[in-house]
Amino acid sequence: MKWYVQALGKRKVVEFLLLIVFVVFFLGPLLNLLILAVSGKWQYPAALPQSWSLQWWQFVLSQDDVLQSISLSFLIATVVTVCSIIVCVPAAYAFARISFPLSKWFLFSFLLTHAFPKMGLYVSIAVLFYKFGLMNTFVGIVLIHMVNTLMYMTWIPASAFRSVHQAQEESARDVGAGPLRVFWKITFPMAFPGIMVASIFTFLASLDEAQGTLLVGIPDFKTMPIIMYSIIADYPNTTGAVFSVILTLPTVILLVAARKFVSADVLSGGFQVK
Amino acid sequence: MMMNASVKKGILGLALVIPSFLILFFVVIVPIVYAIRESLIDENGSGFGLANYIRLFTEPTMRKNIIYTLNVTIVSTLLSLVISYSLAVYLRFGHGWVVKWINRLYFIPMFVPGVIATYGLITMYGNHGWLSRLLLLIGIDTFPKIIYDYNGLVLANLWFNIPFATMLLSSALAAVPNSVIESARDAGANIGQLFFRFVLPLSYKTMWVAITFIFMGVIGSFTAPFLIGANSPQVLGVAMQQVFSNYQETHTASAMAVLMFLLCSVMGYFYIRTMGKEG
Repeated sequence: MKWYVQALGKRKVVEFLLLIVFVVFFLGPLLNLLILAVSGKWQYPAALPQSWSLQWWQFVLSQDDVLQSISLSFLIATVVTVCSIIVCVPAAYAFARISFPLSKWFLFSFLLTHAFPKMGLYVSIAVLFYKFGLMNTFVGIVLIHMVNTLMYMTWIPASAFRSVHQAQEESARDVGAGPLRVFWKITFPMAFPGIMVASIFTFLASLDEAQGTLLVGIPDFKTMPIIMYSIIADYPNTTGAVFSVILTLPTVILLVAARKFVSADVLSGGFQVK
Repeated sequence: MMMNASVKKGILGLALVIPSFLILFFVVIVPIVYAIRESLIDENGSGFGLANYIRLFTEPTMRKNIIYTLNVTIVSTLLSLVISYSLAVYLRFGHGWVVKWINRLYFIPMFVPGVIATYGLITMYGNHGWLSRLLLLIGIDTFPKIIYDYNGLVLANLWFNIPFATMLLSSALAAVPNSVIESARDAGANIGQLFFRFVLPLSYKTMWVAITFIFMGVIGSFTAPFLIGANSPQVLGVAMQQVFSNYQETHTASAMAVLMFLLCSVMGYFYIRTMGKEG
């Protein structure tokens, strides 16, 4: 009995240490930025800031290009997400429910977006865009952002559609519902979490994209990550931290708003193509 | 002419897929073909050939970069996999509030923008960074070089990939029935036996998915190594960007991209083969 209590105690200590390591490793860097963003003076070797201040927030938010970059980034991310949904969700449905020639071949071709190194891909795309006059255009930016989103937006909803039980659709059809009605009333609502998660991924991927935008959107399209690169290079640490918090805010809000949809099963289903 | 139902269905399927495939074709497939073509044009002369590739493997700095990239990629992939597996097994079979909290928190890094995370890692692990200050509090005043070094790169890769791999593996382990594990435990199996006899075979496919996506993500990565990597040797993603923008050697840069693509294709081949198997 004594042994059991001791073992349990030891186990609890180990588990607690695990949680500490986990939190320090994964959340430490983010927490550090958050503290840095509201610090006034924070010199080595102090573990916490010597004084707190919001002066850098004022500075960052008073920069015109910063505010413009925020609205531009959100506009681009919204357009990219809507376009990706329109183009990819029907394809996802087809992959899940319709047997057609070369379907496996088409499905796996989306893996190419992740197999070729992004930097190399963007350079080649830039050459192509140059020929078609898409450099420094909104359409060009949206297309280059879609490179990153095509796979998520096709694979995750495809897996979601696949997990809808066909028996349910059939029984709806048996009581006289037409195919479109079955889709809207049964299939779509049940696949909704997968589509939602894929859309969040898409939105955030677009918000986060820097290298492609830098190559194709120069000089007019300065999105948030591009401003971030120049802030890291040109301004003191605190400015970068403030901007990091601003840039991470949409992520936090989206995740909290959609937390009931984001689950390991929905997401990982998308990477296991059948 | 009457079409039968399966032909009609086939046409409908193709029609639904074609728009997304056209975009894929225009922004991914054509550029890849173009890059392959570029890589075969000799940087120093005219004419097609493998001269750029031969140079990649014979030039000492380039060779060092390739070996360094493979080293970082393989070490990061294996470490991420081992840690994620342990974490996923713990999350699946453990109970209590620690499990609950880790389950809630581990999603976060997947959604944090790469630039921000890298920036946070720099301020945290840098010389005189937050961690070194915190360690000072408990009397540790020596701090290893992490940022701008091999260690920092592997650390960043772990940060980016462990949550993703843990998510995949947890979802696979959720399908392992409790009864299987319990009866095996009753029969006297130890943890090692349990893992290799039951857990691993039941999540083997997912493990390959995790390996493939970690490998592809790490080998071509740019942001993290660009901001925290060493000046020399460099990972191929950064080296390629420099060859392209500093030296304007497009053909060599393309050859580097295609080389990485070939390595990823090997992983992709195994991935597709694993996915193709039923079960």
